[in-house]
Amino acid sequence: MKTTGDTLECGHSLAELSAYLDTGQIDDPAHLDSCPECQAGLASLRHLSELGSDLLRSDVAAAGSGNDDWMQSILDNLRLELRPGRSIPLQSEDAHDTLWETEGSISALIRSVADALPGTAAGKCRLHGDVTTPGAGITVEVDIAVVYGHAMEERAAVLRQELAETLAFHTELAIQTINITVTDVLEPPTPSKEEQP
Amino acid sequence: MTGSPAAQHQLDLVPDALLAGRAADGDTAAFEALARRHGPLMRATARRLTGSLTDADDVVQETLVQAWKQLDSLRDPAAVKGWLLRIVGSRSIDHLRKRRNHVDLDDVENAVDAGSRPRNKDPENNAVNSSRIEALKTALAKLPEEQRRCWVLKEFNDQSYEEIALTLNISPASVRGRLARARITLARTMEEWR
Amino acid sequence: MTESLEAGDSQPAAAVPAAISTAAATSAALAEELLGVVQSVEGVSAVYPAQPLWQSIAGAALSALTGESPSLITLTDDAGVLAVKTRIAVVTSRPAPTVAREVAQAVRRHLLPRPAAVDVSVVKVGT
Repeated sequence: MKTTGDTLECGHSLAELSAYLDTGQIDDPAHLDSCPECQAGLASLRHLSELGSDLLRSDVAAAGSGNDDWMQSILDNLRLELRPGRSIPLQSEDAHDTLWETEGSISALIRSVADALPGTAAGKCRLHGDVTTPGAGITVEVDIAVVYGHAMEERAAVLRQELAETLAFHTELAIQTINITVTDVLEPPTPSKEEQP
Repeated sequence: MTGSPAAQHQLDLVPDALLAGRAADGDTAAFEALARRHGPLMRATARRLTGSLTDADDVVQETLVQAWKQLDSLRDPAAVKGWLLRIVGSRSIDHLRKRRNHVDLDDVENAVDAGSRPRNKDPENNAVNSSRIEALKTALAKLPEEQRRCWVLKEFNDQSYEEIALTLNISPASVRGRLARARITLARTMEEWR
Repeated sequence: MTESLEAGDSQPAAAVPAAISTAAATSAALAEELLGVVQSVEGVSAVYPAQPLWQSIAGAALSALTGESPSLITLTDDAGVLAVKTRIAVVTSRPAPTVAREVAQAVRRHLLPRPAAVDVSVVKVGT
């Protein structure tokens, strides 16, 4: 660029060209095509922009994958905070102590049980009823997705049994009902070709 | 794409709009899939804005917390990527503002590029290009902070002048001016380098 | 170390709160000590900051800025009673309510004869 300040010899400024690149607007569009100064300025700015894209690509590559440890540890931190839910009281041996389980920890536990069963994945999971009052009747609602080919009724029955055992072991909730709804049927993974769901 | 195919999650194939809708509904798995998908771009942007990888991870985490709490306010679920990046922008700026009182920024600036040596896989072309990128990094690090922010928010996040103005709490006219000055300086430096 | 705060301290209970509030550093040392107590309970797989993450982010001062890492266990003096707050993760192989009770007991026993009120939250079960 043959220029000492921001203004080109033709009277236009590089600032105008910079804005033109972003907005497509400039006072004198006809001038641009015929002005070698402006053309050179634009070429230089476009070149910079391409280099900026290269830098972005390089930085994103250097940032690693979203499946790497750095993201996993962020997600682990978040998981506790995103949805702690209600505080579920636990019996304590000393009247001065207050013991709790978070609703989020129980929902996550329910999901992990559903995810651990072959051919099923957990969706939404809710505890209905007043979990903050000891002994109150609680209904568990779990949505699951079942991989195509697995018998839905059988999967749901197995899951219901496992959830009942897990919740009896890890909570003091008075579970009355466990409702399992199959909301999705998943295509089995097809490694050969990419398929949009 | 560097992740192993085995690590791919089922939700990784679901489009942004659907995931954002489910996340707004309280589906944490959908939210995490979005976080994994856009995490590298968020991290890269935060790193260029804050100048350190540690800060970048803090910013990404804070961004995700804020995003989760404000998902209801996202009107167009398909625009979730740009929305996340705008939060990254403002959290990064906040981070810098708070941080400025505590540490010498120069130390942070100098630490930026230490971790990202160009990988020498392909001989000629790659080497030339990565050294040009290195030159741009250096030129970028020398820019006045406000100009660099404008440039990163524009080139990395593709934000409009109005969006950048909101993020930086300055007028759109100032954004236009700072961006132009940043580009002019960078373009000159790169021309000289060439 | 924390002579006046050791478990075997024979001072009358009423005199203790003053000692606790004297120095933040002393209370940090006690928190560190209790962290060890909590971690040694069978079934505790992790201890998380007692103050939820998003609250510390919303707070004006981030501990990261000052270089101080927040204590995992919070101690507050509540009218002469030491309030101890902790958030834990529990393994799947032991019942979470049992582990929570054992944590509270272990903390209480460690602090004897000082009166304490222990608040234990299970925020995660399993991995």
